[in-house]
Amino acid sequence: MLFAVATVVALWLQTEVRLWLPAGALFPDLVLILAVDLGLKQHNALAPVLAFAMGYATDALSGTHLGLNAFMMTLIFLLSYELSRHVWVTGRIIGPLTVGFADLLRALGVIAIGGGIATVSHLKGPALRLVIIQALITAAVSPAVFLLLDAGKRALRLPLRVAAE
Amino acid sequence: MQDPKDTFLWRNRVALAGGVLLLLAAHMLSSGVRQGDTLARPQGLVSEALRPFQAASSRMGHSAGDLFHHYFMLASVARENQHLKEEVGQLNQRQARMVELELENHRLAELLDLKEAIDLKVVAADVIASDATGIARTMVLSQGSGSGLLPGMGVIATGGVVGKLISSSPTASRLMLLNDHNCAIDAFVQRSRSRGIVSGVADDGVIMKYVERTEDIKVGDPVVTSGLDGVFPRGLLIGSVFAIERKGPGLFLNISIKPAADLRKLEQVLVIVQTPPHLADSGAS
Repeated sequence: MLFAVATVVALWLQTEVRLWLPAGALFPDLVLILAVDLGLKQHNALAPVLAFAMGYATDALSGTHLGLNAFMMTLIFLLSYELSRHVWVTGRIIGPLTVGFADLLRALGVIAIGGGIATVSHLKGPALRLVIIQALITAAVSPAVFLLLDAGKRALRLPLRVAAE
Repeated sequence: MQDPKDTFLWRNRVALAGGVLLLLAAHMLSSGVRQGDTLARPQGLVSEALRPFQAASSRMGHSAGDLFHHYFMLASVARENQHLKEEVGQLNQRQARMVELELENHRLAELLDLKEAIDLKVVAADVIASDATGIARTMVLSQGSGSGLLPGMGVIATGGVVGKLISSSPTASRLMLLNDHNCAIDAFVQRSRSRGIVSGVADDGVIMKYVERTEDIKVGDPVVTSGLDGVFPRGLLIGSVFAIERKGPGLFLNISIKPAADLRKLEQVLVIVQTPPHLADSGAS
């Protein structure tokens, strides 16, 4: 429930705030941060379903290919999940780092699948710079989103982490 | 007897569930799920659920921006006189609102002129939200299938062509802008009548593809719709030729187009809901 509400709020912010900001301004991908949090901390069978649903909801408000964001969000969840199984992820830096790489992966993945692999190889200076800056912004905002999510979990008396049995 | 929690399936249930969903998403992608398909139906629900918030917040957006701006402008005045600041703030708010109304009136008058000029049935819609990720170039409009808007319909603004509709729910629809790399509009260069396809590219630009190298094209030439794609009537302005690259191998020219409409500042648009008459006639015959 917490993640469902957080996704709706994140999507609303992403679609509305970008409209108010000056042309070309970048805005962090909040839904992606939620998917990474799921992968790093929520190791139950419902978590991948939530990640898929987040991507599917994003598909309703972004892009032209249905399933593209659902695919990328599920993939990012799985990568974060596998990372958290094999790497010590309680440090504060691993979350933003994962988010940064995940944002880069998602952006390049969406461009490659949506427009063909050749589109990525033709990405030139300014466009590539924007993709990297977007990833850095999302990574920079992620600690605050993680803190908000943890506060929400505490308020609802949910465990901060759900480990696989 | 083996504990059910000690099986391979149970131990790897998260990864397996993720894998199955990944395959489902890949299936949706590869099969090109369309509007109205079972897998696409919940998508409309998401648009419908967010639409009231988006419509309300887009209305408040400009007022909120003005409020933010005026707060900083009046900070020094506030130190001198609190009462004066409030009064000036209220007056500025009112003035900003009046300017906003005047601008809106101007835009609507321009849209009305355009509506009369193209002489086709159109529906006016407000832009209420932008693309959720910023990678694709799409926007959410305030009107949907309830107003007769359907995927594939052409969208114009006061400057010129802005894109096509890609999906619609009863009260909202999504517009794919001209600069999205999946957009394609049949067009020709007005002066030389050279035909090509206007499309977006990944780095936010607009290009005209498939124009032969031998064609006579000059920087500044207007590019208009050909009317052959069944979406737009012939002769609507798309933009002008911005740069031409003749170097390198290949059969075609690399032509960059500067869109006539400012795609980053769209507020109101017109959706062409009627098939252009010459195409309707040819379809009937």
